[in-house]
Parts: sequence; structure tokens; C-alpha cells
Amino acid sequence: MGQRVELHDPAGADWTGTIVPSHELSGDRILQLKLESGYNVGIRIGTDFTFRISPAPPPSAPADERAATGSNSVAHPGDHIALLTTGGTIASRIDYETGGVRPVRGEGEILDFYPDLLSEGAVRVVPVFDRLSENIAPHDWSILAERVALTFREGARGIVIAHGTDTLGFTAAALSFLLPELPGPVVVVGAQRSPDRPSSDGTSNLQAAARVARDRRIGEVVVVMHAGLSDTRFAIHRGTHVRKMHSSRRDAFQSRNAPPLGVVEGAEIRLDVRVRPPSPHGARFDGPLDLSGRLLWYYPGLTPELAEAFVRGARGIVLAGTGLGHVASAHVDWIRRATEAGVVVAMTTQCLEGIADPFVYATGRELHRAGVLFLDDLLPETAYVKLLWALGHASSPDDVRSLLRLDRVGEFVARHQTRGEE
Amino acid sequence: MKAGLEVHQQLATGKLFCACPSELSDAVTGSFSRRLRASSGENRGIDAAAAHQASRGLTYRYETTEANCLVEMDEEPPHGLNPAALDTALTLARMLHARVLDEIEVMRKIVVDGSNTSGFQRTALVAAGGYLELGKRRYSILSICLEEDAARKISEKGGEVLYRLDRLGIPLVEIATGPDLITPEEAREVAEEIGALLRATRRVRRGIGTIREDLNVSTEGGRRIEIKGVQELRRLPQYVEREVERQRVLLEVRDRLRGRNAASTFPPALDVTELLGAVDSGPVADAIRHRGVVLAIALPGFAGLLKSPPSSEERLGRELADQARFLGLRGILHSDELPGAGIGAEETERLRTRLGSGPNDAFVLVADRSAERAGAALDRIAARALAALDGIPSETRDPLPDGRSRFSRPLPGRDRMYPETDVAPIPITAADLARIDAGLPERPAALRERLAQEYHLVPEVVRQLVAGGHVDAFEALAHQGHAPAVVARLLTQDLPAAGGGAEREWPLGLLGELLSAQQSGRFAKEGFPAVLAALTSGAPTVEEAIAKAGLSGMSRAELDRLVDRIVDANRGMIAARGEDAFSPLMGDLMREVRGQRDGQEVAAALHEGIARVLSEPRA
Repeated sequence: MGQRVELHDPAGADWTGTIVPSHELSGDRILQLKLESGYNVGIRIGTDFTFRISPAPPPSAPADERAATGSNSVAHPGDHIALLTTGGTIASRIDYETGGVRPVRGEGEILDFYPDLLSEGAVRVVPVFDRLSENIAPHDWSILAERVALTFREGARGIVIAHGTDTLGFTAAALSFLLPELPGPVVVVGAQRSPDRPSSDGTSNLQAAARVARDRRIGEVVVVMHAGLSDTRFAIHRGTHVRKMHSSRRDAFQSRNAPPLGVVEGAEIRLDVRVRPPSPHGARFDGPLDLSGRLLWYYPGLTPELAEAFVRGARGIVLAGTGLGHVASAHVDWIRRATEAGVVVAMTTQCLEGIADPFVYATGRELHRAGVLFLDDLLPETAYVKLLWALGHASSPDDVRSLLRLDRVGEFVARHQTRGEE
Repeated sequence: MKAGLEVHQQLATGKLFCACPSELSDAVTGSFSRRLRASSGENRGIDAAAAHQASRGLTYRYETTEANCLVEMDEEPPHGLNPAALDTALTLARMLHARVLDEIEVMRKIVVDGSNTSGFQRTALVAAGGYLELGKRRYSILSICLEEDAARKISEKGGEVLYRLDRLGIPLVEIATGPDLITPEEAREVAEEIGALLRATRRVRRGIGTIREDLNVSTEGGRRIEIKGVQELRRLPQYVEREVERQRVLLEVRDRLRGRNAASTFPPALDVTELLGAVDSGPVADAIRHRGVVLAIALPGFAGLLKSPPSSEERLGRELADQARFLGLRGILHSDELPGAGIGAEETERLRTRLGSGPNDAFVLVADRSAERAGAALDRIAARALAALDGIPSETRDPLPDGRSRFSRPLPGRDRMYPETDVAPIPITAADLARIDAGLPERPAALRERLAQEYHLVPEVVRQLVAGGHVDAFEALAHQGHAPAVVARLLTQDLPAAGGGAEREWPLGLLGELLSAQQSGRFAKEGFPAVLAALTSGAPTVEEAIAKAGLSGMSRAELDRLVDRIVDANRGMIAARGEDAFSPLMGDLMREVRGQRDGQEVAAALHEGIARVLSEPRA
């Protein structure tokens, strides 16, 4: 790698370039060269090719050593926010070995990518994980929450968590339940476009998130991401209401069942009255999670046998049912068996908007009689996370059900209003 | 001089990385705004050209149209490379005898002027190392690339640039020749031949702006200069000539600077606003009125070198002014043109004293309402003036309508390319190439030969048909039974001259009707321009156009009466000059006939008339 070669193909072509790692999807015997022009090309090497190793190339732009060391060299005066990194697009760059993107490592590399981060005040960078968010598991939510509490105790006035967007909604909901009291904002932020491209939304998302993290009016877990396609408006979502609703758009994150808690536009932060104020008692970590809860998405064709097998060994399950919270009548039997055996079965709607309600249709009433707990407008993911939390806090099924019904951190919305544009 | 060409042709295959049509659209559906920043490339360098653009700190607003989807908005990853566009590039590679890559890797080329929403242009090298045969010469082909066209710039004001996304993502085939072009004329010929090859694939877009040429020019002792986006082939020689001249003058400036041992550092810039308080016109007065500043920098040893030398219009002063214009200033003032522009001799002398400039030294003034911008401009000017000691900086230049070009940005380097990881490499197999080879279109040379033989056309007419992209229309009309020579004339001369813009598409059916009308004697072939003009200005049918052009009636009898009248009026001249009177009288006659009768018929009638006069007994 990095070797400069002259390649002669007897069929009449010559190539001079630097050998670079082949793409992970490259074909057999393909040598990838970076030509003088900057283009990468793939050349299938024949047995009759001849090579000549060339003199070292002229030195390219010097590598920024700051990036490699990753030392935590920034002083942290009293008034600072902390940036907890977990990996993900917002903190990832092109990996030439796999052809994909890899997480950025260390504080130096982060500041290298986001040089403007320090422009509005001190930021302490705390690396926590080094993973794409699909690799973040429920166990990690507790570690992260404890780290948040610790970081507040160490003096941060607000905390930004850079996170991959795929499971960002889960993490935000989990932190909401695990950190019911906070002395300042916990702002989860991500990027839909990697920072190695000039158009990355990571830059402006992070800047907006840092701004929100300095706001003294907020004492809860929120998600800050693009509100639209422009780099000028950012929505502040409650951690328990937010969902990734698009696989690639910048404004993929949307609040369901309620409008966002606020908007960042330039230096201005507009907040809704619903925002929970900071707690005077500091951060309280309210673990643990019990991981024996599960989430099952109902679909036509899902057999009762499959579903029952899936639930085996669980203390609780959240169903994402159709419409107002339904499954086929054939499922009622195993559900009744499960609830009678002490498994908590909760129902949400896979419509992702609106409530689950057992009393409108016969199937709903049947499920209700079978012991299913309907969780109103909780998103299936939020309900699942809350289930893990409730299982961790109660041993009897009835107590778990009570905890699930309780509005802990503003996760239930009593009034569902139109958005104005209807 | 050495010149090479890069020809960029838009393809009509649909967009390169999404399913949108490759068409422009005025149906704007919304807009959004973004900022871009230079990001580190593969080797962690930040490209000079990219950093340079990012330094302007602009906001970009993008208009979306019905011809766009999320991909152009940088809101969805690119889809796979358009197979039809790839086939077109492969076809060209095979026709140009180039080596096709075994695996095509799509790259990102950093472009942070906002013309790409992503901040980069996707581009892939498809083939390299071919040649183009033209007459007896062979021109090397360095590369054949497939890339995305950029968004269309609509306006720029107040730090915001407005682009429209319709053009973004239209496939461009880029064919680059080696530096083999020796004469400016050759540049045009080679460009024309590459254009003919492109059209032979039948997958290219047509009309103004669908084909653009970049010129790479370097002269002995000079550096490589890229003039980007020449749209008119006939102007190519002009741009080459002006660039050669510009480089000649700048090299002369360098030699004279070296001869004077000009210093390679400049004294710091000074604020001279107060010295010029009395100036009451021009840019200086304007800046002062708006509480701006006037900054000055001395350029030791530059006296007389900022203005054009005798017999040339090129000058270093203009290069310096380009740097100021780049930041949005209107221009500069320099000592070679003072006193002037509202600054009198007295003020000039005061400036000189203040700057400590001797008779060998020059100075430059920058006036602007913003002190920050003026300072930045002066920094750029000083850097450019220093570069004059080295000769000619490598740069990208924009062509201007008058044949000149203007600084646009430093030439981008290899640091601005890194892999587009969202698109998998595309293997090209022997079977792919066999399929392409089986469907190769007729080469322009073979096409020209066939046209000449099949339709008995002279080489120049054939050349114009091929170069102008008229072959399909020509063959279609000729096969309908219209006279080839008349069809060729209509397509190569009358249509291009007919106005309505080069982009006007003339439906074949309409042209067929027009030719039928002419051939049935409704009007002479000299009447085409008038009929076309009538159609261009709104006549809905050929019939009405003929009427509107005033061609709908000159009978043979009327022609005879007209000939009689003209001959009668010129008896004296005919008697004196005999048959030589034909030419001047034919001119008069044709003006009156205005294409209503065939030219040959008119000539015959005039010859008869002249003969009649000459045969009369002399009085």
C-alpha cells in the first residue's frame, strides 16, 4: 500500500500510480491504483504484466498529527459543555480498507472535523464508544447514562451526545427513562451525511446541539437535528417522541404525536412550555434495565406458533399491532397463556401516530380480556425501552404494568392536535 | 504553444446517478439553503482550489424543479451508475481506440463553489490512452471520463448564490486530448471531430450549453492554464490566440521585473482614505461616501508594467483586478493609469510620497465600503503580483464573450479526489466490450465518405452536415425524395441563420413540407430565409409563412415584365458594357424577385432581355 508503481500491460497500456486498497466489492485480481490525475482505477492484472517500483512520490499534504494522538489536551474551566462520542456518521470518516465509513477516534480527530465547535465556548470531549449505532445494545444505554450523570457531576453544564442515527431514537428514549432528573440539557445529535463531505449536516447539527446544550432552561433528554432540508433550522425533539422516519434525509427525525419541543434558528432557541426545567438536585441515574423484554412487529402471516416461540423466556413483550393495536384473533390464545404465566404483554400501534385503543373493535376487546396492556400513543420503540426499564424496577407483573402506565418523563401525550397544515 | 482540449458533452440518457430525466426545467417546486466547507481529502490535505472557494463563506440556495429527486438534493445516496450513459462512454472509448478500465471506480471531486449540493462532483475514469485520426494526423486521447454536470447558477447577491438543480446530475462525457494541438485552428477542427463522434452515438443532448470545451494552453516557459466552459466552437481559436498573447505579455513582464531586480517582498498595505478625502468621483469617492476605506500597496519595481505594452491589450493590471473582482469588488486603480478615475495629479503625487514610491515603483489602490473585504482583496493582489516574478500561475480561467478570459480559481490538484464509497466499483468484462463493439456507430470519416458518394455532395457541404449534427435530418429528408443539395443548403445555411436560437428544434415534418412547397414551385430556394423568418416570427403553417413572406405570387409573366422594366431602364449601360451588364442587373433583379422565382430562371430571363437589347439595331 502506498507504493508508487509503473505498470506495463503488454496489450499496450502503461499506468503510473500509487497502489491503494481495493474496494471491498472489487473483483478478483483487480489492482487499484490512484493515478497522478487523482482518479482511482481498477486494473485486472495479467500474468504477462511487468511492474517497476518507482521512486517515492512527492510528499503529499502532511498528515495532521493532532488527529492521530487523540490526547485530551483542552482545558475545562467551570463553564463548559461536554461532547460524549459514541461513533456513528457524525463522527466517522472514509475507511479506505473497507471502502465504507469508520468512526473517528479521539478528541483531536473530532476537533479536526469540527473546528468551529469551540467557537462558542469550552467543550470537553469524552469518548465513550467507538461504534456505528446498529452496534449499540441496551446494555450500552446504561453505561452511557451513567457516564452522563458522572459528566454532569464533573462540572458540565450541558451534554451533547454524538450518536449514529439508526438507533438514535432508542438511545434517546432509554436515556430519558434512565435519567429522570437532570441539571441541564442532554442533547443527542447525529448526522445523515458523513463529515468527510463538504455538505455534511453534522457540522450544523453539532453546532445547534452545542447551542441547545448551553441553554439553562432545559433539564431533559432531547434530540437536535435538521428541521427541514436547509442548514438553517433545527428541531428540538423530546427523547421519547422522536423517530427516524427516513433512511437518508437530513430531516429524518420527527416528533410523533406531538410537535417538537422547540426550534433553533441562528442564535435563537425557541422552546415550548412543555420543556422540563433542570433539576436542582443534579443528575440522577435510575437504572437498571432488565433485558428480558422484547418487541414484536405483527404482520399478516405471522403464525401464533412463531410468535409464542419468540416470547418464550421473556418477562415482557411489546407488540406493534395493526391499526388501533390489533393482531389476528388466532393469536389471542397464546397471548392469554403468556399473561396467565406472568408475562407482561403491552400493545402499541405500528401506525406510529395515534393511539392504541382496545375498545373500538372486537379484537381489541378480546386482547384486553386476555390481559394485554394498551399503551396509548407510545411509539413501539419507546414502549420497548420503557418495558426494559419497568422490568428492571419491579418484580411482579402487576407492578411492571403500573410502571408502564405511569407517565414518567412526559412520554404520554394527552392531547393530539392537528399540525395546522391540515 | 501546446494546447489540449477537454470536450464535455451532456448525454440524453437520463441522469447519471438517479432516475431523473436529463432535461432542464423551469417548473420550480421549492428551495432550500446550505453551507459547504472544505473537508479533508483522502490524504488529509485540503485542496487549494477547494479551500479557496470555501474562503468566500457563501450561503447557497437551491431551487428544486420537477426534474429533480432527493438524489440531486443530497438527501438520498446515489443510485447505480446509469447503464445507458456508461454504454455511451464505452462506445466512445472503443471508437477512440482507448484502453477501457477493467473496473471503473467512481470518485468524488471536491467542488465547494456550491454548484454541487454534496460539495463534490462524481466522476469516473472509463478509459485512457487512445487516439483520434483526423486527415493525416493522429491526436492522442488522454482520458474518457463520465461525470455529473453541475447545478445551474441563476444569480449571486449579498453573499447568497442561487442555483437551480435541474442540470445537476446530467451525465457528461469528458474527452481529453493530449497537448498535441499546434495551431488555434487545429483546436477547432479536433473539437469539431470529437463533436461528430459524440453525436454518432445518438445519445447526446442538443442545443446551446449541451457541449462545452475546456482549453488547456501552455506556452514555452509558461504554465498550464485551463479555460473552462467555452460554448462556441468557432471561438476556440480566438481563446487560444488571446491566451498565447496573454502569456507572452506576462512572461515579458517577468523578464523586465527580473531585469530590474524587483524585490520579492512588498511593504505592508496602508490606509490612504484620508489622503483622498477631496476626490469627488469614481470608485474612491463612492467608497468614502459610504464610510469605506481606500487601501494602497506599493509594488517596488513594477512601474509601467501594469499597463499594456504597445500593440497589445493584455496587461498585468487586469490580472490584479481579477483578484479584487473575485471578492466582489468592481476593480482596482493602479499607478500606471493615474492621474485618472477622479484622482488628480496632486493626489497621485501625495500617494507616491506616502507610499515612498520612486519612479521605478508602482502602486495599487483598492476602494471598498468594507475594510475587511478591501484588505482581503489587497492580500490577493499582493500574492498575484509576487507570482508575476515567477511568470504565469497555473489557474482555471473563465472565457469572456470577447475572446478574453478571466481568473476563476487556482488549478485544482489531485488532493481534491477521493473515492465515492456510496457507489460500488463497476467491472467491465470482455462480454461487455464485445456487445459494445457489435453496435459501434458509423465513424465520422466513413460517414463523410458515404454522404459524398451517395448524395453527390462536395466535401465542404458534407463537412458542414456532419459537424453541424444534421446528418439524421438530412438523410431522412433526402429519402423522402427531396433534392439532396437543396436539403443540405437548407440545413447547413438557412436554418442556422434563421434566428429563433440555435436551440430551436425544427420538426422534420415541417421541413419536409417546406421543401415540397419549394420544389413544386411555390417559391424559389432563395426564398427559404424569408419563409423561415416568417415561421420563426409566428406563422403557424408553411402556407401562411409563404404568404407572410410575400412570396405567394410572381407568375412567369410578372417576372418577364420585371425583366423588361429593368432592361429598359438600363439600355445605356447594356449598350456600353454588353454581357458584362449581367452581374449588376442580376443583383437588382434578385432583390425585387425576393426568392419568388428560381434563381436560374431569373438569370435565363435576364440573359434573354440583355440579348434582345443588344440585337436591336443601334440608333
